[in-house]
Amino acid sequence: MKSNHRLNTISAGTEAVFHVIIGLFSICCIIPFIFVIIISFSAESSIREIGYSFIPRAWSTETYAYAVQRLPQIWRSYFNSILITVVGTLLSTLMCALYSYALFRPDFKYRNFFTFFSFFTMIFGGGLVPTYVICTQVLGLNENYAALIVPLLVSPFNIIIMRTFFKSSVPLELIEAATIDGSGEYSTFFRVVLPIAKPGLATIALLNSLAYWNDWYQSLLFIKQNKVLQPLQALLMELQNNVEYLNRMSAALGSSAIQEAMRAPTQTLRMVLVVLIVVPIACAYPFFQRYIVAGLTVGSVKG
Amino acid sequence: MKKIVALLLALVMVLGLAACGGQNASAGTPAAGSSSSTSSGSTASGGEPVTLKIWFHGSNVSPEASSKVLDELNVYLQNKINAKLDVIWGTWGDFDQAVVTALAGGDNVDMYFTCNWSADEYNRYARDGYWVKLDDLLPQYGADLLQAIPEGIWECAKTNGYDGMGIYAVPALKDTATQNCWDVNGTLLAALGYNVDQVCSKGLDYYSSDFEEMLRKAKEYKASQGENDFYPLVVEPMVLERLVNYTAIVTGDLPGANVLSYYYDKDHPSKDIGSKIVNKFASPEFAKFAARTYELSQKGFISPSTQNTGTSNDYLTACQSSGSYLIGTQSYAYGCEIDFSNARGIDVRMVPATAPYMDATSGQGAMMAISAVSKNPEKALQFLNLLNTDPYVMTTLNYGLEGYTYNKNSDGTISFIQENRSNYSPWRNGMGNIRILPPTSDEGASYWTDFSNYYNSAEALPYGAFIFDNSVVETAGAAVANVYAEYAFGLCSGATDPNTVLPTFLQKLEAAGINDIVNAANKQMTEFLS
Repeated sequence: MKSNHRLNTISAGTEAVFHVIIGLFSICCIIPFIFVIIISFSAESSIREIGYSFIPRAWSTETYAYAVQRLPQIWRSYFNSILITVVGTLLSTLMCALYSYALFRPDFKYRNFFTFFSFFTMIFGGGLVPTYVICTQVLGLNENYAALIVPLLVSPFNIIIMRTFFKSSVPLELIEAATIDGSGEYSTFFRVVLPIAKPGLATIALLNSLAYWNDWYQSLLFIKQNKVLQPLQALLMELQNNVEYLNRMSAALGSSAIQEAMRAPTQTLRMVLVVLIVVPIACAYPFFQRYIVAGLTVGSVKG
Repeated sequence: MKKIVALLLALVMVLGLAACGGQNASAGTPAAGSSSSTSSGSTASGGEPVTLKIWFHGSNVSPEASSKVLDELNVYLQNKINAKLDVIWGTWGDFDQAVVTALAGGDNVDMYFTCNWSADEYNRYARDGYWVKLDDLLPQYGADLLQAIPEGIWECAKTNGYDGMGIYAVPALKDTATQNCWDVNGTLLAALGYNVDQVCSKGLDYYSSDFEEMLRKAKEYKASQGENDFYPLVVEPMVLERLVNYTAIVTGDLPGANVLSYYYDKDHPSKDIGSKIVNKFASPEFAKFAARTYELSQKGFISPSTQNTGTSNDYLTACQSSGSYLIGTQSYAYGCEIDFSNARGIDVRMVPATAPYMDATSGQGAMMAISAVSKNPEKALQFLNLLNTDPYVMTTLNYGLEGYTYNKNSDGTISFIQENRSNYSPWRNGMGNIRILPPTSDEGASYWTDFSNYYNSAEALPYGAFIFDNSVVETAGAAVANVYAEYAFGLCSGATDPNTVLPTFLQKLEAAGINDIVNAANKQMTEFLS
């Protein structure tokens, strides 16, 4: 029979309904982004006349030209973002793997203690001001790249994910076998365990790289003078915040606010920056995606 | 057992962090007292130059431009007061959060911008001991400064700080008066067949039929050109209320909610008309205003975008920059109509609704405070002294370097070199005595004389530099602010019908305790004036 149902399939009708639902959902997700791209290519005069629109009265690439030529900080910020993301992701993924590997090994005597130790910080934070004081005055994380990387290095949440991943995918017998074969701890970790744990590492790496790429808060706290170090997100956030602040404070500032607001970047420029920020990370995603799917399905029944 | 140890260890860490933070944060208070009395001998010049760190608000300055300007300025400062300047160019959006964190964290910053409208509230931080009290230091280290700023402005800067009533920051001599004006689109008005000069010199009456006629004609005119979504009255609703009713903002009113009104005489603001501080919304004037605004809104003169708090400001900015309005509101700053006309490409006219007046806000709009953790408060004050009295220092910090960001003209004005000026544009009003700056070529040679004349003519309100300390009514304040957020904007923008809504609003305000706030304000005012 031609219409022989394969195993685990659903009827064509149901499948169609699901496709429609998921399709609509995808459209909902992608439309705002397309909208941003359209606005970034709209002429400023069009926005002034009819507001944001899917079909602007006039198109223009002027803002892109302006951003590329007149804002040298954009390229520096691009570099900063990439540098912070690459270095930060490498370091934080390594830290996460090392920490959670120790917690995963049942022969590590203090594993419960250190599990709780990292878990504790998820519930109780130090608060903003003490954290700020420790970072700036004790650790010297002020006006330098380290201030943008170090505070995000360890995430207890990622440690828990990674430890669970080790538990479910790395058989203890394998480690024993490696030890019997004469492999030292480092060699076991880097040459036996990590290759198996690649999907898990990729998941953690993606989470970390997203966190680093999207972070603007560390820059707000720690980069106040040496603004060439600002990552792209911080630059965008600053422009956006300026506009919002001037709106909010217009009553107190009076005509001063209007004069300042006229100097603020145009709405298209803000959208151009959004596009510039999103594109690289959107390109990085497919690279990780293969592993993430593997990471999600591993641990279930293996074929 | 191990869990308990882990818990303890974590606890120790948390407490350790907190303790460190606490020490640093509270370090400000004792330092303030000691530094002003002990280290006053260390001001003799010679020896290593002292580096002073200063934090400005609202800047748009690139790092390269900053170092270029400061390198040259520092040579001058080193000769004058043996000090170097290190500037944090705070931007609009980041300033509040970054400064509050830095203040609490006891950062090594000598001088901060402060004022009575942003998060680093001058009066509150003075009360909590973050600023050095300047009264005793001023005669010795800021004699010229004392002279340069008028007595009335110093009065406005006085506040009840941790060390008693006094001056805790140097007020900026800028636009020191408030005047509410109608912002009239002269170009459109002329197109409607009006004699613009005549209409503007006569003044506008919100309740007159002429006013409505003007709006109607504008609406019809635009409709005949195919613009059906044109709304002639584009206002900031809360400003409109003050403009129409001749009420002043009571300095120290609830955060985020203006519920207090002080009525003044529109032609002679200093005249005592027996005003008390009142509940803004309970007055017959307010009821009349709300009814009129609702009427105008019903006739289609006010856009729904104006009536929505989320879109109001964006809509206002968009309409202003494209010149698509007939009448708006503007809190006036001297000479702003010229800037606006240039920016909007129309003939912008400012029609005063009241005479300019002075109150505590006039002196607290922009100030420079010396941080209590500063190791060199005297040097810092010496610098502020120079900044407010030495045209070179003020011009360099504000406008940059001659030949780099500006050129001098033969008539004493300056012209900006736009290319570099765009990388070096601090917020002009946020520094100090801007009246010692050279005028720009747009402003014209006599700008600052006219500027000073205009502001010096402003009269002080009968209650002078009174500031309401709202910390005594915090609980009621929060409840009232909630009610305010629900109703006030709708009433002032004509979105809701006052006949049905106003009674409910007043009832809820009373239940929330507005009368306690009004009474507390009046009590404080009486004490202040006696």
